[in-house]
Amino acid sequence: MNRFFWKVRNSLAFKVIISTVILSLGVVWITGSALNSRLSSGIREVNLNSAIVEARSTIFTADYRFLLAQGEKDSVVQKVVDDVISSATTITSNENTREVVFARSPGNTRAINYEIASNLLDPATIPKSLSDRVRKSSDITWQYVTMRYLQGTSAPGLAIGQKVQIPNAGQYEMYIVFSLANEEKTLNLINTYLLIAGLILIILITLITWVVVRQVVKPVREAARIATEFTSGDFRQRMKVYSQDEISTLGHAFNEMAESLEQQIARLENLSRVQQRFVSDVSHELRTPLTTLRMASEVIAASRDSFDPTVARSTELLVAQLDRFERLLEDLLEVSRFDAEVAVLEAVDFDIVQLVNRCADDLALVAKERKTEIFVKSAEPEIMIKADIRRVERILRNLLANAIDHSEEVQIDVQIKASDRDVAIGVRDYGIGLDENSLTRVFDRFWRADPSRARTRGGTGLGLSIALEDARLHNGELEAWGRPGRGAHFVVTLPRKTWESIDQRLISLQPEDYTA
Amino acid sequence: MTLVMVVDDDQDLAEMLGIVLTGAGIDVDLVSRGDEVMDVFRNNPPDLVLLDVMLPGLDGIEVCKLIRAESMVPIVMLSAKGDTQDVVKGLEAGADDYMVKPFRHPSELIARIKTRLRRTNSDISGLLTIGDLAIDVQAHQVLRAGKQIALTRLEFDLLVALAKEPGRVFTRDALLSEVWGYRHSTDTRLVNVHVQRLRSKIEHDAEHPEIVITIRGVGYKAGVMGGS
Repeated sequence: MNRFFWKVRNSLAFKVIISTVILSLGVVWITGSALNSRLSSGIREVNLNSAIVEARSTIFTADYRFLLAQGEKDSVVQKVVDDVISSATTITSNENTREVVFARSPGNTRAINYEIASNLLDPATIPKSLSDRVRKSSDITWQYVTMRYLQGTSAPGLAIGQKVQIPNAGQYEMYIVFSLANEEKTLNLINTYLLIAGLILIILITLITWVVVRQVVKPVREAARIATEFTSGDFRQRMKVYSQDEISTLGHAFNEMAESLEQQIARLENLSRVQQRFVSDVSHELRTPLTTLRMASEVIAASRDSFDPTVARSTELLVAQLDRFERLLEDLLEVSRFDAEVAVLEAVDFDIVQLVNRCADDLALVAKERKTEIFVKSAEPEIMIKADIRRVERILRNLLANAIDHSEEVQIDVQIKASDRDVAIGVRDYGIGLDENSLTRVFDRFWRADPSRARTRGGTGLGLSIALEDARLHNGELEAWGRPGRGAHFVVTLPRKTWESIDQRLISLQPEDYTA
Repeated sequence: MTLVMVVDDDQDLAEMLGIVLTGAGIDVDLVSRGDEVMDVFRNNPPDLVLLDVMLPGLDGIEVCKLIRAESMVPIVMLSAKGDTQDVVKGLEAGADDYMVKPFRHPSELIARIKTRLRRTNSDISGLLTIGDLAIDVQAHQVLRAGKQIALTRLEFDLLVALAKEPGRVFTRDALLSEVWGYRHSTDTRLVNVHVQRLRSKIEHDAEHPEIVITIRGVGYKAGVMGGS
C-alpha cells in the first residue's frame, strides 16, 4: 500500500492515469445511470400502457358477459365466472403470465361466494391500498405489486382492478395481475450491458491515457535521468531529439544547457588545474634554492660569535625568517594538494592521548614564553585510533599554537574524550576570544582575527584552514566557538577508524565552563 | 677518510652540500647527471650516496636501482617532493633513507649520514640466531644453512635489532629510533618499506613471514619458532 502511494506521489504518469480513471469513472457512472433510468422508465411506461389497455378490454368483456348473464341461474353465472377467468388468464411460461383475482367487496353479504384467484395466486397479493382505491373509483385503478403464490414463489407484478357486478352475487372487485418478470429481466440485462460497456470504456481510456502520457513523460524522465548523471559528474550525456514538437524544444534547450555547462566546467577545471599545478611547481622549485639558502645561513650563523653585533643580529633574523619562509612554503604546498584533491590519508594505529601529550610537551616552551601553560585532561589513559598521524599531529599543533597565540597569559585546557566510534579533542583558551563575524571566517586562509595585532609567533595564516581540511579528510569535523573576551574553544572530532564517519559530538562546542 | 657521493643537478646546492660535508670532515664527490653516476661510482666507490630524485639523463629512482644491483652501499635520497609516492618509490628502489628539501638543519643531514655510516652493534660478539638464520654481527654476515644472504647495511641493522631481543615487540617508532636514529619521527613508511624489502630477502614466503612477524596495531617482532 505504501508502495502504491509512493508511486502516486512520485510518478507523473501514474498520477495522470489515476486521475483520468477517477474522472472517467464519474462520467461513465453518470451517463450510465441516466441511460439506465431513461430506458427503464420508458420500458415501464410502454408496458403499463399496454397492460391498462388490455385490462380495460378484459374487464369490459367480463362486465358485459355478467350483464348478459343477468337473471340466469347460479350454475350459469358460475360458468361465466370460470370462462372469464380462463379467458383472462394466460399460462405461458412463468413470465408474461396474467392472473385474475375476484374479491368480494366488503358489505357484500350474499350467500354465494365467487371469490377466487387464478393459479394459486395468493389473494393477499392485492394490497389494501389498491382495493380501497378500486372501491372508491368507478374507473380502472393500478398499482405495482409483488405477486405471491401459495407455493411460496413471488415475482414483481402490476395489478389493475375495477369494480364488477356479478349477477346474484353483488359487487366484486376484479383484478388482473400482470407478471413483470420479463420486464425485470430485460432491465437487468440492459444494466449488465451498460456496466460492461462502462468497464470496457474505462479500460480503454486508461490505456489511451497511458500511451499519451508516456509520449510526454518519457522525454521528461529522460531529461531527469540525464540531469542526475550530470550531477554525478558525467557531462557527456545528451538528450535524444526525434521530432519537432515542444518535447524536442525541451530536448534542444536541455542539450544546449548541457553543452554550455560542460564547456564552463572544463574551462574552470582546466584553469584550476593550471593554477594548482603552478602553485605546486613554484613550491617545488623554491625548495632547492631554499635548501641552499638555509645551509648557507646555518654555516654563517655557526660563526656569528665572531661577527660584530649588528651583523650577528642580522644573521639571527636571516635564519629566523628563512624558517618562517619555509613553513609558509610547506603550508602553501599542502593547501595546493588539498585544492587539487590529491591529499591522501596514510592511516596507522596510534595512541592519540600520547600524541596530544607529546604536542603539548613540544609546545610547552613556546607556551612558557607567552606566560601560559597547557593542561591536558583525558577521560582514558590510552585511546587507540587509526588515522594519518602526521595530519592529526598537524591539527593538534595548529590548534595549540593558535590557542597559545590568543591565550592572553591565561592557561589552556585540552580535553580528550572517546566513544567506541569517535574521539574528540577540545582546545579551550580563555583569551581574547572571537566574535560572530570572526567565527565564520576563522578557517579562511590568511585570515587574522585582528589585522592590527602584531604577528608575534610568525604563524603562516594557513594553520587553521589546513587543520580543517585535515579533519575533513578523515571524515571528521573541526568546529570553533568563541565570545569576545571570553576565550575560544576548538573541537576536533575524528572517527576512530579510517573512512568511517563520526556519529556524535563527544565534546559540546560551547564549553561547559561558559555561562552567558 | 669517508667519501660521500653527492648527486644533484643544482650546482649551487651541490656546492653548498660539499661545503657542509667537508666542514664535517667528509670527502665529497660531486656528480650532476644521472647517467654519469655509475662510471664515477665504479671508479671511486663511495661509502654513501646522497642522491637527488630529479636528475637529468637518468632519474634518481633508476640510478638507485642501478647502484643497488651491484652494491650494498647506503643510499640517502634527496627529494624536493614530500609526496608519498616519490618517497615510497625511492625506498622501494633500494634507498635506505630519504630527506625532503629543504632540510630543517644542515646538522640534521650530517647526523643522518653519520648514522648510516657508523658501525652499529659493534658491542655484540658471536652469533645471533633468528629463525633458521645465523647472524655474524662482527663479520656483518647473514647465513642460512651456511649460505650467505646479501643485505644492505640498513637491512642488516634492522634484522639485528629484532634478533637481539627475540621476545620483544618493537613499535615502528622504536625501530625508527633504534635503526634510523630518529627521535620521535612520525614517518613509519620507512619501517614498512624496509621490512618488506628485508622479508623478500630472508623469508621463505614473504606473504607468510616467519622471521619478521607483524604484530597488528603495534609493530614487529622476531619469530621465535624459527623456521619450523
